[in-house]
Amino acid sequence: MATTATVTIASDIYSGFSGISKTMTLTKAGTLNDIEETTGFSRRRIASTDQIDLVVMADLQVETADSKAAKVYIKNIGDGKGNIDKSVFVAIGLGTIGSAGTTADYQEISNLYGGDWMMIPLTGIDATGDIQAKAETDDLVVLEYVVFFEA
Amino acid sequence: MATTTAAVTLTSDLLSDNMSVTTSTTCMKAGTNADGLDQMDMGYIELASGTQKNLIDATALGVGKANKVYICNESTDETYYIAIMIDGMAIGHLYAGDWMFLPWDANDEAADIEVLAHTGTNKIGFACFHEGRTLLAVD
Repeated sequence: MATTATVTIASDIYSGFSGISKTMTLTKAGTLNDIEETTGFSRRRIASTDQIDLVVMADLQVETADSKAAKVYIKNIGDGKGNIDKSVFVAIGLGTIGSAGTTADYQEISNLYGGDWMMIPLTGIDATGDIQAKAETDDLVVLEYVVFFEA
Repeated sequence: MATTTAAVTLTSDLLSDNMSVTTSTTCMKAGTNADGLDQMDMGYIELASGTQKNLIDATALGVGKANKVYICNESTDETYYIAIMIDGMAIGHLYAGDWMFLPWDANDEAADIEVLAHTGTNKIGFACFHEGRTLLAVD
């Protein structure tokens, strides 16, 4: 059972750039054995600027192995009705809920603008490894996401 | 307008019905719908085990912007990996052959993307698409 992800990046910023294309097979830490656990594909509607837990590691039905192999894919699909504003974002970070700004318990990673996607590794550690989301405005935004992890 | 697109195809047979996701985004400057990122940095390094370094520095001109970052652990030994951190906080591990793609707003000048190599000398490829960064002054 395999999970693969292929990224393709094209750009005309610099004429000498010939693009990036890379495929990875998601494996368990330090091995060639395939990752076997997933949350399945999910979506979350956000209609306020409150910081929310998008993924709580301790709440997953199968506990993640700490500091092993885990990946998350998240996409901001706009309002979920086909309307995507690329100037509006949801801040994505890791850490404990309610920790404002960048503190020892929270690190903002990025602003995920309308239509943008991200795929990053995770520690899977309870609390400090939880995925947080905070919308810029109270307009409806829908995030789609899936976590693949090692138990 | 410069145009940078990032696409991903994700497939998995972990569920009883196979999952396949394909999507693409055009990378815009922060807060815009029509002005694309227009600058980029790209590199390839080798990092010895136990060494922690800034891979991409957050600079004043890049703070709060819509930077997009690609990092790949190009090592081939499956036991090799690098820990990815932002401002010292662990994000996760990239094992040999793994890549990541993230929007990186560099929320302050300390929010550097850092890497710590484990097991052996890891080979790391990276690219940052951005709308400007503060250049080093002449020595």
